[in-house]
Amino acid sequence: MPQILQIGAIALATLGGGAATMTVMKPELPDLTVPAGNWSAENLLDGTSFDIVGTDLDSGQEMTDTLVFRDGAFQSVNCQAYCDFGFSAYQTKVVGDAVHFTATTRCPDAPHTVVWYGSVTEDGIEVAGTWTTRRWYWSHQIRFEGDGSTALPDHAAISD
Amino acid sequence: MVATKFGASSLILRFVILISILVLATWGAHLVRDALNLEIRPGNEQAVHRMIMSGAVAYIGLLAVPFVPGAEIGIAMLAAFGAGIAPLIYVATVVSMMLAYTVGRFLPIHALERLLARMRMRRAAALVARAALLAPEERVTVLLQGRSEKSLQIGLRYRYAALALAVNTPGNSIIGGGGGIMMMAGLSGIFSPLATFVTIILAVSPVPLAVLFFGLQF
Repeated sequence: MPQILQIGAIALATLGGGAATMTVMKPELPDLTVPAGNWSAENLLDGTSFDIVGTDLDSGQEMTDTLVFRDGAFQSVNCQAYCDFGFSAYQTKVVGDAVHFTATTRCPDAPHTVVWYGSVTEDGIEVAGTWTTRRWYWSHQIRFEGDGSTALPDHAAISD
Repeated sequence: MVATKFGASSLILRFVILISILVLATWGAHLVRDALNLEIRPGNEQAVHRMIMSGAVAYIGLLAVPFVPGAEIGIAMLAAFGAGIAPLIYVATVVSMMLAYTVGRFLPIHALERLLARMRMRRAAALVARAALLAPEERVTVLLQGRSEKSLQIGLRYRYAALALAVNTPGNSIIGGGGGIMMMAGLSGIFSPLATFVTIILAVSPVPLAVLFFGLQF
């Protein structure tokens, strides 16, 4: 076999073996499981926004954020600042006095997926979520929970 | 009897020293990680990703060069980023070892010597120059200098096992390190690419697999 083909075969075997190893060894991190239900895109939370204080469930670190609902879409101001997530569609369902919502948002420039699940009542908002980064060589996840109350409009912090 | 007792106590002492070194190294790695404060947050993940990619490329390149202690970069990355990075370190180690082997096997030996000399890697160039004077099948014995004839014969007969042992032996940097060993294996022409690849896949697996599966947290 010509040398160039041998080199190619070694490179192919090494990279193929590496890819297979990554597939087998890299642990899978599932996103937050959102309870099933009669979810609909009724835009029940449009025009509202909430300041929340949350906690990273693994490190205990405090996180603050503002969640915005507008025109059938949802945005986390922090996600927008970190990775230009933009607005993403959200869904709602009504259970008793609470409006539950969920949204899955993705960064366009990096493999970040954030899954949100929360409920809004007259008293405020409770929210939980996962920020999962799935690189080809590892996956990393931040699990968080938080609560908050209605925020005053601050259009300067909200971006399309 | 006295000699046996002395031998046993000496062995226990060495074992205790080894365990102490491992404990101290783990403790030191914890301190380094805490000092670096490399907690991955949404705000720094992309910077961490760039650091990891740069580190991996440097690791592959340096580990493939004879006498360059590239393994320390891998250990530093494990210390900094934890067990999650173990698969990448494993794959990068295999790639680096195969790179060194491929360079040794296919690059003309005098060209390799000149290249290393031009890069001012004098010890690596001297190693290749010594190997150039020998027949290809004798080149691997450069790595077994000072061994008895019987050891040489066993080493050559079970050369793939010897190769696996050599790349895993602590302190192998004095005979060229992982990169030097693999380059010599390539230069010798007695190691087939496929068998060498399988050998390396198995040989470099213990540390990353231990970190990944047994949760040795740095």
